[in-house]
Amino acid sequence: MKPAPTLSTAFLQPAGQALPAPLLELRKQRGAALVDMPLPTRKTENWKYSSKRLKLTEEMAISLPTTGKAGSALAVPGYKVVFTNGVMIPEASEYPDLDDISIQRFGELSEAQARDLAERLDSTLDMKTVQFAGLNTARFEDGLVIRLNPNAVLDQPLFIINEVTADASGSAFPRIYVDAGANSQITLVEEYISSGQEPVMVNTVTEFTLAEGANVTNIRLCMDGENVQHIGATGVRQQRNSRFESHCMGFGGPLRRHDLQVRLEEQGAECKLNGVVVTQGTQHYDNHTTIEHIAANCDSEETYRNIATDKSHAVFNGRIHIHQDAQKSNANMNNKNLLLTTGAEIDTKPELEIYADDVKCAHGATIGQLDEESLFYLVSRGIPRREANVLLTMAFINELVVQIPVEAVRETVHTRLNQFFDQAFQEV
Amino acid sequence: MLSIKNLHASVEGNEILKGIDLEVKAGEVHAIMGPNGSGKSTLAQVLAGNDTFEVTAGEVIFSGDDLLEKKTEDRARDGVFLAFQYPVEIPGVSNMQFMRTAVNALRHHRGEPEMNAAEFMKLAREVSKQVDLDPAFLKRGVNEGFSGGEKKRNEIMQALMLQPSLAILDETDSGLDIDALKVVSDGVNALRSEDRAILMVTHYQRLLDHIVPDFVHVLADGKIVKSGGRELALELEERGYSWLGIAEDEATEASSAN
Repeated sequence: MKPAPTLSTAFLQPAGQALPAPLLELRKQRGAALVDMPLPTRKTENWKYSSKRLKLTEEMAISLPTTGKAGSALAVPGYKVVFTNGVMIPEASEYPDLDDISIQRFGELSEAQARDLAERLDSTLDMKTVQFAGLNTARFEDGLVIRLNPNAVLDQPLFIINEVTADASGSAFPRIYVDAGANSQITLVEEYISSGQEPVMVNTVTEFTLAEGANVTNIRLCMDGENVQHIGATGVRQQRNSRFESHCMGFGGPLRRHDLQVRLEEQGAECKLNGVVVTQGTQHYDNHTTIEHIAANCDSEETYRNIATDKSHAVFNGRIHIHQDAQKSNANMNNKNLLLTTGAEIDTKPELEIYADDVKCAHGATIGQLDEESLFYLVSRGIPRREANVLLTMAFINELVVQIPVEAVRETVHTRLNQFFDQAFQEV
Repeated sequence: MLSIKNLHASVEGNEILKGIDLEVKAGEVHAIMGPNGSGKSTLAQVLAGNDTFEVTAGEVIFSGDDLLEKKTEDRARDGVFLAFQYPVEIPGVSNMQFMRTAVNALRHHRGEPEMNAAEFMKLAREVSKQVDLDPAFLKRGVNEGFSGGEKKRNEIMQALMLQPSLAILDETDSGLDIDALKVVSDGVNALRSEDRAILMVTHYQRLLDHIVPDFVHVLADGKIVKSGGRELALELEERGYSWLGIAEDEATEASSAN
């Protein structure tokens, strides 16, 4: 038997030393733990459909250079922090200096703050299931830590623009940590974009801890180019009566992988997870979500939609784990999928694991095509076939798009969707 | 305006239409009656271009053109309108978006400027009153959660918005109470004009009390077996279909089905 391939040690060489000692130490520890890390294969259950899409060349092991400038000037209606190749560009960033909310790069932290952060990083994720999150911890060169004091409210959305400049092969490791104090509120928009054409990997980790009553909205826009393998993880831990809302909008690529793990650790916590994925050509997108109902009286609501056309492939794996003490849990998971061509593939797998006896738990998954009857109805009114297709496809996801609470993001999503429709539905 | 000659159509190898001949001139209202399964709805669907049905023989000339050669959307742009027997529900597409797209597709075809949102809303509000639909329905999904009667009124509303030259009404009266029947009939009567033809498919003569046809045809087993004036409908009401040699059970089934 052939030995399982392991991650090349070249991938365990971090760049950039401008970090406080505790973070450098954490990086080193994680790197050491990843020596001989087996790469996922078809037999790795949670990478079953995506392992063949993972193509890590030696050239990609190198950290993409820190350019020191932003690749594209994005106007955003709010505060923004710009990262290029995983390193923050202060000149391109604009955010307020507030008493009750601190926004700092990792390099700005005091020794004590860095020690505290080092203990918290990776704590929101089940690291056994997201090994690439460990790679991020072994490789990050910079990062953003956002701390909201109790009752602090960020009055505008904070955009974090993560761009990679793929003028040469390499990798980038963006990292975000958000600590939301009791009853604090923040809307955080993560935008992942790229320039350049060389094959690169973007390996992201974003973590949230929500104290009692905190209210966090996270919008994640994955819009990297066709040369970018994107492997991201988001971890969330929620205390009593906190609320986490997520909107993941994904556009396909050679490899797109996002793991979203939410832990409802105290009573009254609730999360709402929305996701939309569109893939075309030979693109691939794989969403894995896990909701851990650990405490009683928590609610989770999850709605994901995939649309795949041409020969593309979308994957949804949604796991809900209701622990023994999580009585009166209310969990609702719904995944609907739309195949626009016979060559496209969608795999969906809802997983429910329930150990409490007094819970409400529902799940549903469907895969279908555009409804011929509806299409006929629309064209019978003179609506061009292409437009009828667009109307019906948009109808499939519109319910989720309209829920995105930031108008500028909705506009960006519409623009990208129109590009998708232009290619998916040629005029007939 | 519409000339149907020896039209044959099948679905999955079963022949439903077995040689239909029909001439409809501008300004005329024709009623097509007949028991269930006689092919009435198939005729309506074939004219609108539903490719579930395969036309195996015959021709249909509409305003001088071969209708069967045209795609559904082109037929609509040339003025063919089908009021569906079972209008589909399309959640996620609002009635307003749907109707405005349709109106503008036709205007575009005619070389007219598109209607902006405000102009469209003004027109849509007026027409919705005409068919007694609360304008709030415009914001809802197409036919989503509509009662049977609301769906039928929505079909007539679309006809009034799109002003077709040939309106085909497929069982537009089924499932309507007396009040709704009156509203729908008033809408259809508002469509009557010298340059427009109306083809009504119906089981029941009661619709014809409100919309008086110029001609009545009886369809049975895929063929028109009898044609006449509106008195034919009254005769059918009195005597049923059996005197025309249509099986009694077929007719009974037809009158009990709704």
